[in-house]
Amino acid sequence: MLASITACKPVILQRATAIQQNPGTSANIPENLVLSTAQRTLIDAVQMQLFPKDGNGPDAQDLNALAYLEGALQDPANIEDGDPAFIVKGCSWLNDMAQRSFASDFTSLTVIQQDRVLNSIASTRAGENWISLLMYYLTEALMLDPVYGGNIEQKGWRWLEHQPGFPRPTTGKTYLDFT
Amino acid sequence: MASISTKHTQDEFDICIIGSGAGGGPVAYELSKAGFQVAVLEKGGWYDEQDFKKDEMLSRRKIFRSKIQNEPHILESPKTDGTWSSNTTGQFWGGNIVGGASNFMSGYFHRLKPEDFRLLSEFGPIQKANIADWPIGYEDLEPYYTKVEQEIGISGKVVPHPNLEPRSTADFPFPPTAEHPIATRFDKAAKALGLHPFPMARAILSRPNDGRAACEYSGYCGSYGCHSGAKGSSRAALLDKCVNTGRCKIFTHAKAYKINTDNKGNAISVDYYDNGPNSHQAPSRIKAKIIVVACYSMESSRLLLSSPGQKHADGIGNRYQQIGKNLHCCAGGTGHGIFDLSKLNSSDAAALKIRGPFFNRALQDWYFIDDKEKFGGRIKGGTIDFVFDPPSPTSAANKLKRDQDGKLVWGSAFKHRLKSHFTQSRDFKFEVFCDWLPTDECHVSLDSSKQDQWGSPVAKIKVGYHPHDLKVAKYIVDKGVAVMKQMGAHSYYGNAFTSPTANLMAGGLRFGKHAHSSALDADCRVHGTDNLFVTDGSFMPNGGSVTPTWTIYANAFRIADKIKMQLGSPHKS
Ligand SMILES: Cc1cc2nc3c(=O)[nH]c(=O)nc-3n(C[C@H](O)[C@H](O)[C@H](O)COP(=O)(O)OP(=O)(O)OC[C@H]3O[C@@H](n4cnc5c(N)ncnc54)[C@H](O)[C@@H]3O)c2cc1C
Ligand code: SF4
Repeated sequence: MLASITACKPVILQRATAIQQNPGTSANIPENLVLSTAQRTLIDAVQMQLFPKDGNGPDAQDLNALAYLEGALQDPANIEDGDPAFIVKGCSWLNDMAQRSFASDFTSLTVIQQDRVLNSIASTRAGENWISLLMYYLTEALMLDPVYGGNIEQKGWRWLEHQPGFPRPTTGKTYLDFT
Repeated sequence: MASISTKHTQDEFDICIIGSGAGGGPVAYELSKAGFQVAVLEKGGWYDEQDFKKDEMLSRRKIFRSKIQNEPHILESPKTDGTWSSNTTGQFWGGNIVGGASNFMSGYFHRLKPEDFRLLSEFGPIQKANIADWPIGYEDLEPYYTKVEQEIGISGKVVPHPNLEPRSTADFPFPPTAEHPIATRFDKAAKALGLHPFPMARAILSRPNDGRAACEYSGYCGSYGCHSGAKGSSRAALLDKCVNTGRCKIFTHAKAYKINTDNKGNAISVDYYDNGPNSHQAPSRIKAKIIVVACYSMESSRLLLSSPGQKHADGIGNRYQQIGKNLHCCAGGTGHGIFDLSKLNSSDAAALKIRGPFFNRALQDWYFIDDKEKFGGRIKGGTIDFVFDPPSPTSAANKLKRDQDGKLVWGSAFKHRLKSHFTQSRDFKFEVFCDWLPTDECHVSLDSSKQDQWGSPVAKIKVGYHPHDLKVAKYIVDKGVAVMKQMGAHSYYGNAFTSPTANLMAGGLRFGKHAHSSALDADCRVHGTDNLFVTDGSFMPNGGSVTPTWTIYANAFRIADKIKMQLGSPHKS
């Protein structure tokens, strides 16, 4: 068999560049970052835009996507990629844009306004990378084994009629136990 | 590394094997069974059925593989403007634990054909290709191909077709693994096109054997470790038994970095770093009468190049600059047939959705191509394997966040794409394999600027391809696409590739009759030594138009017999 490419984060280089272009970002953020309450509220709102409650399967909250993300941001490999710093940085871009466009914080906007703000930041390279990275973690919350904290009650798998392999990873035998 | 601090193992070994994968396992197995004292140095740890979960994160995080940060390779590839790109990569690490990459293979197994052993005399030279006949014939390897069927456990069914290779037994020792309903649809389509479909052999047990369980059809096979023991990895099929003889010691976390030679040029010992939990990467030395290298193509070349000695100024066996030369990958391509389940009746749609049993079909109607218009005469062609890609649902979902133009899609539109991809379509794949002709543009050398975590120069891998390969690959890919169309796929496409198949590398230390044009003799002994052998896929002058591992296993069993003969009886040794 030809080994397939296990697609991972697509934009690491650009993200690193964006961080370099915004000095102070990675340096000021502790490695074991925990999101502030405001950042959590903001990311929760963004995740609900990216993966909304629309009658078609679970939404981001059903999948426990925010808690999954917070867990993933403690993973040394993700820290090494600069993800926590970049995600925090993106929260301020988003709020700046919301303030500039609607003179309000992102979380206070209507769904339609939030979508417009997301579209505006997606037109910049760094902003696009930021949304792309949040979606990367959302797909992990959707499709990885529930042992990792997302995909609660296999809601993602059941919606997409996905049949997992067996044996499934268990506590004590997750990838983190082999690193 | 200062030799004063080198720790010497006290044990005396008849044979020391470096690398525990498909090339190393058979030698350890045969020699320990025959009563010899065997040491195996493996740079990775020992993991087994208890550790192999069907967890996509294991491959996303390269668990069980060497890491690019610690042990990179430099990859030089041709660019369209005629220049070469140079990148650091970790893609060539396919499995670095006891059993090597064979733990993670899919086990699609094919033998070579007699003609593959005499490519030059059968088809003549091709300009700028270093084609050579093998110093042995198919008949020399045939008994070992048969042995692998039994010892590793190959399941299959012999179905006569125009290019079926000669066999000494009527059929496989194990019946075929369970088949997916797509196989029946495939057979019908292929026959309608006048082709000769046959079930692909698998290094997977279809029924329990010798303490190993039968396949449990987890649906997650290639790229994933096997939890049942059915997959014919070197560890599950061979090394577990070696250890039980009490005569085989497997040194895990032992990274060999130099083979020492004496003033006659013969191998005397191996220097390695002991990276065990409490050993602090201690430089260590092990002595043996026979030393065997089986580190996976480019890494075997690298080790010989990194081992200069009194008689081997440029690395062992490199008097004629043959070490690392004539490396090859598999040329070929891939294609897809995608079925829109909403267009099928419900029972057909349900059948295609099944996950667990295998597709397991191959076509070799174009193993030799006689198309005067296209190629001017009879040429060597290739194989098409019809397979399932190992599921990687998270990666698949992540890819769907971008539309055809690469633009991000989110919200309900994204969810709609996910739903339709996962529930309303099924993608069936084919893989084309043809010869990657050996050339002066495809080889391994030591990189002068980059070192691994222990300070040894890393391998630089240059992967130029021959334009002939691309022509042949395109020709066969088109045939695969036609089969997908005939099967009723709603969309179908295929592409030939020129990038290296990182998990299917071979050559670099080809065997041959003459020291000036090969690295090994016919018994896979390094030229200029009496007791240093190479038993991984490095020996192959060409890869055949198939995946290589059955041939690697078979040849390693053949060399094990040669080594036994050289050592004489165990008590005398
Ligand atoms: C995902 C995947 C799918 C595959 N599917 C197929 C298939 O369907 N059909 C097929 O025929 N083949 C397949 N293969 C290829 C097959 O696995 C290889 O051909 C085979 O394992 C090669 O055997 P080897 O002994 O050369 O190398 P390996 O099996 O990789 O073993 C080499 C071992 O040597 C160790 N090592 C390397 N350097 C050192 C050192 N300096 N000191 C100590 N130890 C060292 C490594 O850690 C490794 O464990 C697949 C491979 C992969 C990764
Ligand atoms: S499908 Fe069979 S051989 Fe493959 S990993 Fe599962 S049990 Fe092992």
